[in-house]
Amino acid sequence: MTQLADAGPTLRTAPAKPTHPGRRLLDGVQAWLYISPAVLLVAALLYAPFVWTVYLSFTRYDGLGNPSWIGLKNYTTFFHDDVLWVTVSNTLMWVGGTIVLPVGLGLFVATVTYRSKRGSLLRLPFLIPYAISGAGVAVVWGFILQPHGALNDILSFLHLPGGHTSLLLYRPVNTIVMIVAATWQGVGVNALLFLVGLQSMPEAPLEAAKLDGASGWSMFRHIIWPLLRPLTAVVVGLSIVASLKTFDVVWVLTQGGPGRSSETLAVTMYRDTFVANEYGYGSAVAVLLTLIAAVASVTYLRTQLSSKRNVSW
Amino acid sequence: MRVRGRRSLLGAALAAALLVSAACSSSGGSANHGALSPKSKTGGETLKLYNDKGAWSDYFKQVGALAKQQIGSNLDPVGYTDENTYQAFIKASLRTKVKPDLFTWATGGQLKSLVDQGAVADTSKVWQDAIDKGYLTRQLEPYYTINGKQYCVPLNVAYWGMFYNKHVFDQYGLQPPKTWDDFQNILTTLRSHNVTPMYQTSTLFSFVWFEQLLAGSDPDTYNALATGKAKYTDKPVVDAMKMWAQEEKDGDFTDPSVKTQPQALLKSGAVAMVPFGTWFNTSMTGEGEKPGTDYGFFVIPNVNPSLAKTSMVFETGPLCALSSAPHLQDSISALSWWLTPDAQSKWAGSRDDVSANPKAPITDSTLAEVTKAAGSGQYNLINRYFEAAPPPVLTAALDAFSAFMVHPDSYMDQLNTIQKAADQYWASAN
Repeated sequence: MTQLADAGPTLRTAPAKPTHPGRRLLDGVQAWLYISPAVLLVAALLYAPFVWTVYLSFTRYDGLGNPSWIGLKNYTTFFHDDVLWVTVSNTLMWVGGTIVLPVGLGLFVATVTYRSKRGSLLRLPFLIPYAISGAGVAVVWGFILQPHGALNDILSFLHLPGGHTSLLLYRPVNTIVMIVAATWQGVGVNALLFLVGLQSMPEAPLEAAKLDGASGWSMFRHIIWPLLRPLTAVVVGLSIVASLKTFDVVWVLTQGGPGRSSETLAVTMYRDTFVANEYGYGSAVAVLLTLIAAVASVTYLRTQLSSKRNVSW
Repeated sequence: MRVRGRRSLLGAALAAALLVSAACSSSGGSANHGALSPKSKTGGETLKLYNDKGAWSDYFKQVGALAKQQIGSNLDPVGYTDENTYQAFIKASLRTKVKPDLFTWATGGQLKSLVDQGAVADTSKVWQDAIDKGYLTRQLEPYYTINGKQYCVPLNVAYWGMFYNKHVFDQYGLQPPKTWDDFQNILTTLRSHNVTPMYQTSTLFSFVWFEQLLAGSDPDTYNALATGKAKYTDKPVVDAMKMWAQEEKDGDFTDPSVKTQPQALLKSGAVAMVPFGTWFNTSMTGEGEKPGTDYGFFVIPNVNPSLAKTSMVFETGPLCALSSAPHLQDSISALSWWLTPDAQSKWAGSRDDVSANPKAPITDSTLAEVTKAAGSGQYNLINRYFEAAPPPVLTAALDAFSAFMVHPDSYMDQLNTIQKAADQYWASAN
């Protein structure tokens, strides 16, 4: 601190060189040239498609010819869609399920294994599925969940109920089993994130709590959990966004069916755009989904990471 | 400092210019696809044949090699396995420099939408020449005629009927049915021996049994649905759905969410029959099954015995050239060659399938008989629902039939849903 304080006046009293206006212009141009490749790439690959999507959402367009402007009709149609309640409730199930299962189990795995001598070995099986793509996970689980698939056979062999249940046919069972499939893949990365939080936790409050007699559940409940709150907020925030855009597992396993019964908002977006060839309507769903994801994540993170609730390390 | 600043400025400018030029020339990758080759070149080009039949790449390559020998143009297949991705690519190609020379598509509303954009090359002369030589029949012409002109040529034709496991049929003393009552007896017998009679799926092909029941009981109403002159809530349609609902409840079908391939189910005897088009023969022989020994094919009898002819669902898929194809002349020549007996013998023969060309031999004797009978007018050929229904109605119907399979008693709700989509479509179309 002393060194920094001593350096302060030196910096403040450094003589400012007079800058020639031409030099400033040259610096400005130079700066723009340096950042222009990045700006161009971001503008071309991120902003332009988004602006185009927003424009399309106000049009009728089947992918051929030119879009025709129809104002807010796509948005009003969306809110009057017969399956709106089904897709929204399925999406909410994904949000809730993703927070409870992959995040909850990730926290459990990290907490149980982070002080263990063979912790990395114990965590490894949870991490491996994360290396598989969502579509790959869905294909694997398709063999498990299909009629007379592995799960049916195991249940039948053990004389347990459900051996003849079609797990992907009926709502909401089909959505629940797909959340379980996604959990299989998602636990590992959440455990890894929580592990980083646990390993970077200060020792002092933990030692103090131990001296006060805290251990096991009381240690977790009153010391570890509050210290993990900022990280938990980020993990849950990421999970909310990821679950709102759930697509791959659902598309591969059920294509949102049967009869749109397992459709999520992201599947609706794809279906209306590329299956029904209603690019305008699909774009409107995409815009709404983006807004929902942005509002939900920003609101949640602001609430959770506000200075009053934040726990200082 | 000034020199270093100028060098930095120059370096930054060069880097930016390189990136911009790289970005602008991103379509240069298309040169690898032959899309940027000059149009003036004709003869000996390799023609990119984009298709939604990725599993048939080997068959396309075999025909391509023959094309190279006979007309000098090789056909290089670019296969997609996802229909939606494929269609999106073809539509996008109309606005970019990456264009197919030849591409597969669908007849009906989908072909019309491309033709309306002026995107498809006129093949009227190819058709007239082929009909004159006996390579095509007039019977096929309407499927490819829009506003009096022909577009594309038949990639394939298929007649829809029932593939059945001969071993299962033999085991229970069953014969291919002649009447609807015979067919009902088959279903009853199979159920009584705990054999699932028929395959069904809730994805894509959810329309199959609907079209079969309605075409077999009231083909006029079926055809009228395609033009908006009948409603999905009309009595013949409702009656067909009631019949289907009863069959679902009786256990005549597989679980619609089954993910095992139908050819594997039929081969193993897990299901006794699969109602599909003649192209399914390719899948069965691919499984190592022998037609006539391991499995057979029969035309499904009419539900309504008073109909003059047996209704048989028919489909034909087009092979098209873009009007802005990179090698348009070669593409048109290739389409003309595609219809010749040599090309069709290779194409249909390698897949054990039927051909659009009556002069091409058919290797499977059962399918040869069906094709001959169909060509002689013995059957009432019914346009497949997938091509007959307008695309927005089809999308709603596929979902509705899929939901119906899970909840058969909801047939009226599903028909109302389809009719709602039909009302919206015909209101905007008219």
